[in-house]
Amino acid sequence: MAIRTIDVRERVMARNDELAADVRRRLAEAGVPSFNLVSSPGAGKTSLLERTLDALGRELDIAIVTGDVQTQNDAERLARRTQKLVQAVVTGGACHLDARQVQESLAAIDLDATQLLFIENVGNLVCPASWDLGETAKIVIMSVTEGEDKPLKYPKMFREARYAVLNKVDLLPYVPFDVERAISMALEVNPDLRVFQTSALTGRGMSEWLDFLRAQARQPVVAR
Amino acid sequence: MHELSVAMEVCRMAEERLGPDGSGRLRLVGLQVGDDAGLEPENLSFCLDALLSQPPFGEARASVERCAGNVLRLDYLEVDDGNPDN
Repeated sequence: MAIRTIDVRERVMARNDELAADVRRRLAEAGVPSFNLVSSPGAGKTSLLERTLDALGRELDIAIVTGDVQTQNDAERLARRTQKLVQAVVTGGACHLDARQVQESLAAIDLDATQLLFIENVGNLVCPASWDLGETAKIVIMSVTEGEDKPLKYPKMFREARYAVLNKVDLLPYVPFDVERAISMALEVNPDLRVFQTSALTGRGMSEWLDFLRAQARQPVVAR
Repeated sequence: MHELSVAMEVCRMAEERLGPDGSGRLRLVGLQVGDDAGLEPENLSFCLDALLSQPPFGEARASVERCAGNVLRLDYLEVDDGNPDN
């Protein structure tokens, strides 16, 4: 037997990063800001998007790519709130979206008729932190039914994110959640993080979130 | 879970380099994993060994070398060319 060694010396994420760069370039050319929504399962990504579509759907052209391990339930929920295309990616077991899936989804989206793109990632605070999708920014969502120390437990995700949404604030009277402590921990991990507080159920705090999205849709998008 | 997704990407890279025929002759996959890469090397080795024992691979295994920084790199592949050593 003759063993031959093949030198590779290639970053494991190199191929994904190439595809992400292509996604980012195409979105920048079309002037479409894109947000990769990441959270643990059940934090309220889909509910936040539903509420956002209800509020902004007639004002802005919003396209959505949703990822789920199984089922198209989230895509079907969102499709009921918009006339725009909702692209469902069923990962078939994979715990995150990758840039290839987003690139393929873009083929079905008319970017010239899009002002804002949301990518709803698979519910998972670990793996999606490592996979660049070509987004403008990651937005990490946590809810008040979770532990305040999520930012310390999942620091990479909170470091990678530019924005954070603390959701389900309507439940604050009923759960032992310290908002100041949670935000303090998030800022400890990432001092540049901008934090929104929302309730996708009651609409509390949504106006700041919606104004932020309006402003993003007006800003020129720059590819990194 | 994260280690499994990374292991799947490493296997995709190996298969892309070697093709379906070459993948069956793969014996060793060498990786470098940084202390700040967010991965547990033992867990990654476990996931890789599980995937590398399935088609199109056969008898391959992983060798994960820990290093400084956030490096995550497929370093080398060892392939059995099937020829006698003489």
